[in-house]
Amino acid sequence: MTKRSKRVAIAIVGAAAFTLAGCEEEKVDAAAFPDLQSCRDAAGLNSAFTAQQCETAFAEAEALHVEAAPRYDSLAVCEEQHGEGACGSEATATQGGSGSIFMPLLAGYLIGNMLGGRSGMAASQPLYKTSDGRFTNAARSSTFSTNKGAAKLNTSQFTRPASTVGKTPMTRATATSRGGFGKAGAGRTGFGG
Amino acid sequence: MQKITLPERPHWRAHAEEVGFSFADMHGEPYWDETSAYAFSLEQIETDLEDPATELHAMCREAVAEIIGSEALMERLAIPEAHRDLVAESWRNGDPEIYGRFDFAYDGTGPAKLLEYNADTPTSLYESAAFQWQWLEDQLAAGVLAEGSDQFNGIHEALVARFAEVFAPDSDLHFTAVAGNPEDYGTVEAMGWAAREAGMGAHYCDLDKIALSDDGQFLDDQNRRIAVLFKLYPWEDLLRDDYAKQIAGSGCLFLEPAWKALLSNKGLLPVLWQMFEGHPNLLPAFFETDVAGALAGRGAAPADVAEAFGRAEAQLATGHVSKPILSREGASVAIVEAGAVTEQSQNTDYAEHPRILQAYAPLPEFDGFRPVIGAWIIGQSCAGIGLREDRSRITQDLSRFKPHYIKA
Repeated sequence: MTKRSKRVAIAIVGAAAFTLAGCEEEKVDAAAFPDLQSCRDAAGLNSAFTAQQCETAFAEAEALHVEAAPRYDSLAVCEEQHGEGACGSEATATQGGSGSIFMPLLAGYLIGNMLGGRSGMAASQPLYKTSDGRFTNAARSSTFSTNKGAAKLNTSQFTRPASTVGKTPMTRATATSRGGFGKAGAGRTGFGG
Repeated sequence: MQKITLPERPHWRAHAEEVGFSFADMHGEPYWDETSAYAFSLEQIETDLEDPATELHAMCREAVAEIIGSEALMERLAIPEAHRDLVAESWRNGDPEIYGRFDFAYDGTGPAKLLEYNADTPTSLYESAAFQWQWLEDQLAAGVLAEGSDQFNGIHEALVARFAEVFAPDSDLHFTAVAGNPEDYGTVEAMGWAAREAGMGAHYCDLDKIALSDDGQFLDDQNRRIAVLFKLYPWEDLLRDDYAKQIAGSGCLFLEPAWKALLSNKGLLPVLWQMFEGHPNLLPAFFETDVAGALAGRGAAPADVAEAFGRAEAQLATGHVSKPILSREGASVAIVEAGAVTEQSQNTDYAEHPRILQAYAPLPEFDGFRPVIGAWIIGQSCAGIGLREDRSRITQDLSRFKPHYIKA
């Protein structure tokens, strides 16, 4: 029994270390389906997913839809973002929802082979129409040309969207200011001791 | 404890460069210095350093509870009134500590004496945990050190274990430091590697790139929400920054937690002395405003410390050190012997802060250098040491990092 570590991390390679150290995004097998049935139909043919995975992923996407679909305070604004006929009230989409808040209808879902459920990662994502006929996720951080097909996607595509339930409609992680830390110590060169 | 002259590893500078240890020389002086090393017995390590450091951390936790319960002490430690709840909440929530470093005066005999606790933003983590370790392995392989020589350095493994204990697998952690300081950054990256090894996602963002979202969360430079933020930036500065009032509602877990502001504060030292007077690893310490007059023969110390002061007065009069409650790298520290200042730091940063007096425990001298022993606490236990030595009696920014080993 020694008093020292059996191994250490010996390199300091700069901020790149944090990406080199494994934060670089892995790619996963992913597929988009317009509905549950088309996922089931593909299962067992050339799909990477089983019917069981389709069920689970679809249920998860529906839950995320309720939790995190973009919310709008008028039908007009919602349709402006998602196209005519692509929106409904929160009350119709979710039990206990508001009749005066509007959200896009579920237009498909993205399913990813996440292998073991990384926390903060959802193995599926709800998809919504955009006003120009493409598809977007709940955080509206990515846009896809279709809701049918398979691809390798970065795992970050499956980041669990921030919940918008109970928050002001359309809240996103938008920066309102930057640089509020670091001024008190300005002028000194080191902060450790 | 001895200082032993040893051959340097022939290619260590190239190795340092290769692994990114760019601050092995600083200010035109060597910082990493392996022309000699300190040798300890296992007994010295375990009985005189490791166990006392672990015990002191437990005592410090008791002191935190004491200070949290006292507005008067919060005031003396200069915790801004607006943020005292934040500090108290972080303690009541049990926000976890990751690391800290006690600085000890120790000469190989008798109890190590606590000089201060760098409990919030200790640096030299990389040198202690990694480069020192590599030195030992290389010198063992080269036969420079006898087979069976060891080192008190389980720091990296203890950090990995600590992250795994505190966070669920795959948690995403952010790490931040002020840009452009390789020495601070080295500590942050060493921390990041340990978190990665514990199965966490680790992301780096410069401190001044952190943003605030419209719903009050902190965001990194890619607008990603920050759930856990390891910051190599002290609480006394965080609490005086523009975003200070946003911290409480941000939902972000800060590391080290806000209650560490009470420990990385020399005001801790008089509190510890009041709670544990006579403890072998503590030096008598008092708030300067309480005892400066009495020590100079003008008036008496306040009733609550008068007796303790009476017991320590002769020792303080012989020699004491005056330290601002917030200070780094020896800034604005003065040694006073028999009423006269005999050594003073040229750096006067922090001079405006309230001060404490601590009985003077001279650092031992080895070949003209005076080592101070940094004992690393990971979680709540001591996991290793790193030594820095300085020609001056006050350890400052020209100090050198020295490797150590445990004799076979």
